[in-house]
Amino acid sequence: MSGQYIAFFVLALIALGGGIFMLNLNKVVHMVVALVFTFVSIAGIYVLLSAEFVAAVQVLIYSGAITIIMLFGIMLTRHQDDGQSTGSPLRKAFALLGTVAFGAVMYIGIRTLDFGSEAVGLHDKNTEQIGIAIYSKYVIPFELASVLLLVALIGAVILAKKDDKEAGE
Amino acid sequence: MMMEQLLQSTPSWTNVAIFFAIGVGLLLVVLGFVTYGILAERKVMGFMQGRIGPNQVGGRWGLLQTVADVLKLLLKEDTIPKAADRPLFILAPVIAFAPAFMVLAALPFTDALQFADIGVGLLYYIAVSGLTTIGVVTGAWASNNKYALLGGMRAAAQMISYEVPLVMSVIGVILLAGSLNLNDIVEAQKDVWFIVVQPIGFLVFLVAAVAELNRTPFDLPEAESELVAGFHVEYSGFRWAFFMLAEYVYFFAMAALTTVLFLGGWHPLPFLGFIPGAVWFALKFSVVVFLFIWFRITFPRVRADQLMEFGWKVLLPVALVNIFVTALVKQLFF
Repeated sequence: MSGQYIAFFVLALIALGGGIFMLNLNKVVHMVVALVFTFVSIAGIYVLLSAEFVAAVQVLIYSGAITIIMLFGIMLTRHQDDGQSTGSPLRKAFALLGTVAFGAVMYIGIRTLDFGSEAVGLHDKNTEQIGIAIYSKYVIPFELASVLLLVALIGAVILAKKDDKEAGE
Repeated sequence: MMMEQLLQSTPSWTNVAIFFAIGVGLLLVVLGFVTYGILAERKVMGFMQGRIGPNQVGGRWGLLQTVADVLKLLLKEDTIPKAADRPLFILAPVIAFAPAFMVLAALPFTDALQFADIGVGLLYYIAVSGLTTIGVVTGAWASNNKYALLGGMRAAAQMISYEVPLVMSVIGVILLAGSLNLNDIVEAQKDVWFIVVQPIGFLVFLVAAVAELNRTPFDLPEAESELVAGFHVEYSGFRWAFFMLAEYVYFFAMAALTTVLFLGGWHPLPFLGFIPGAVWFALKFSVVVFLFIWFRITFPRVRADQLMEFGWKVLLPVALVNIFVTALVKQLFF
């Protein structure tokens, strides 16, 4: 058992545990904190896969995003909600069926998956390699993604503006 | 490079013990800095206000004042409010402190004295330091107190707003150094420090750094005149000490990062190369620490709306222009 294997096992356990806690806890803030553990341990798994840049960006983006989710969770939800579980037995049975089916499909899909031979030199200057790949080979998808983000930004501004005008009238 | 050899040797329990011992050693060094950093801060603030500052405990210079304060904190009763969310209240100081200590691993103090030579060191620092805000907001919410919650909300808003100019201001440095690795960045400053070639970037970085540290004039999350004590109003004893410790460890880390990014790290001034790199690093580091203390005592606290406007309407455009000009200069002249 190598150190890498132990690290992967621990990180995977924390990630899954965070996910399960997130689904089972009742208060919004508790769920968000559980989510933090999931995201950070996924970043750890990226490090194990020699993707340091992706790991750092994962933490950078999600630490901000989770803080915002937490604020929205605090401001936009009811706090006295005790969160009774809803749904009939029939619905629960369907949920179970769906989960089992999903699990089976994923297992079959992953078990026979072949990634080809493992790429070598992944950890060597990988930030530079990502940069070169984005700006030469994948430059059009990259630009499209930035246009999409810009559209989302302008859309948010327009929505916020409209609201302001109506409140003023 | 002892660290490199250790990292590449075969794993064993001896290595675990060595890493643990090094970690504890670093923690003790940082605790020493925090102890005397606080004393220095109080002394400098005292002198600047025409007072003397601590001068009773531990001789004429008050050398044991902080030690006594910390002892008092540790002996205090550990109170948890009845209405607080108990598990999160306990967890929050840990979430706030752990990243503060984690970022220290990536900082190169001299060419020999460093822990992890991470390829994306700069990004790692900025990413991990953002995690502390989650601890702050969690603690603020778990306290179940309106002042604490307001402080937490402000901390979150401030972190999001000022992280953007902070990252943007260092892109100029990254462009010139051609690397995110802190060692390479220091190496690129062998002849000229980046403060000379990136003066605008340095100023934006300095302002954003003070804001990220939640220090005066940007200490809105704990503005005592409006929010009692802000996010840690319900905390006392060693849990409160953890929040304070996180704040001062970031102070240490940010001063070290400023030294690495803009002041040439351990590189000496011309003709003074006979002084060892560690001394140079310590000197520059102390200058930055003094500068931060000077800011604290000189500037009045900004208003919340001014803070947001300044971040988005002044710092961000200036940082963007800086990136543009740097890219142009690099293309044309290098």
